Amino acid sequence: MEITLNKSGDTNVVCIEGRLDTTNYGELEAQLTGLTDKNEKIILMDLSKMEYISSSGLRILLIFLKKLKAVEGRFMLCGMSAEIRDIFEISGFVNIFEIFDDKEAALNS
Amino acid sequence: MAHYIHFRDPTSMEIEKQLEGIPKCPGTCFFIDVINSTDIKYKSELKDWGKRLNNTFNFISFLNDLPENVVKGIGDELMLYIPDEDLFSKTAYNNYFGLIGEIHATIENLVNFPLEDTFLQCKVSIHYCTEVYNITFFENANDYYGMDIDLTARLMSKAKANRIVMSEKFFTKVKNDMIDNNIRIENTSLADLSGVYMEDFKGVPWPTEYRYIDVKEM
Repeated sequence: MEITLNKSGDTNVVCIEGRLDTTNYGELEAQLTGLTDKNEKIILMDLSKMEYISSSGLRILLIFLKKLKAVEGRFMLCGMSAEIRDIFEISGFVNIFEIFDDKEAALNS
Repeated sequence: MAHYIHFRDPTSMEIEKQLEGIPKCPGTCFFIDVINSTDIKYKSELKDWGKRLNNTFNFISFLNDLPENVVKGIGDELMLYIPDEDLFSKTAYNNYFGLIGEIHATIENLVNFPLEDTFLQCKVSIHYCTEVYNITFFENANDYYGMDIDLTARLMSKAKANRIVMSEKFFTKVKNDMIDNNIRIENTSLADLSGVYMEDFKGVPWPTEYRYIDVKEM
């Protein structure tokens, strides 16, 4: 998995490339913790290059959704492939996240 | 595919021959039981508890690449069995450490899901089985029998809501994976794993060592 961080205005765009699972969720957790420790309150996860997400990966997203909601921030997702969206639908996660078709739509929201 | 055992003659010698030729099928067995499942049926209607059961079973099986490993549902309990050869060829995870990590994350996601009345809370028992056979006595069915399967079921008596109970035999497998991959337990979801306990379970002729971990709210 490769993680790329960019900033667009107040929004921190975190792009994940590859698989997010039990072998590497700690890397993402560390990167996101780095942002929240700096009081960053808006995070957009760009999942357009994500190939797979396991329960461990979903867990990290849920943790940071809760963290940012607690400080009235935003934790958004965008760019899901049909396969990734399927996972989010079965898990019910589509009902708890702000999800956008692409990065532009999320940044303009 | 399970070995189908079916003889009409109760005194048949052939059945013993067939059974003696069946190989053991080592792997990981786990039972996942829904908490307060009887209670919710009295307090809500089928459209409510049926939906939550559907959601919970989907979360457990499909999201963890386990639909092929569901052996059976027994009421509100799922029995899953992952033969070693199957575990090692999975893409979502391919060792015991990965498996327990995903099961732990699953229970944590269920506990912490923000929308009420969507999922049900569960308890889990896990054991690494060596004394187990992939046999069935019913045509076209799949099943696993052996004393290690029975022990997995017995371990559930030490579980409660959001608790994962694992035999020391399974934890040893997990520990070996952590050693092989240079992973320290304090950096994993097993950081709060209990110490080892010992218990005499009904029908098991020797004490069994086990540990547990309670999954917490975020």
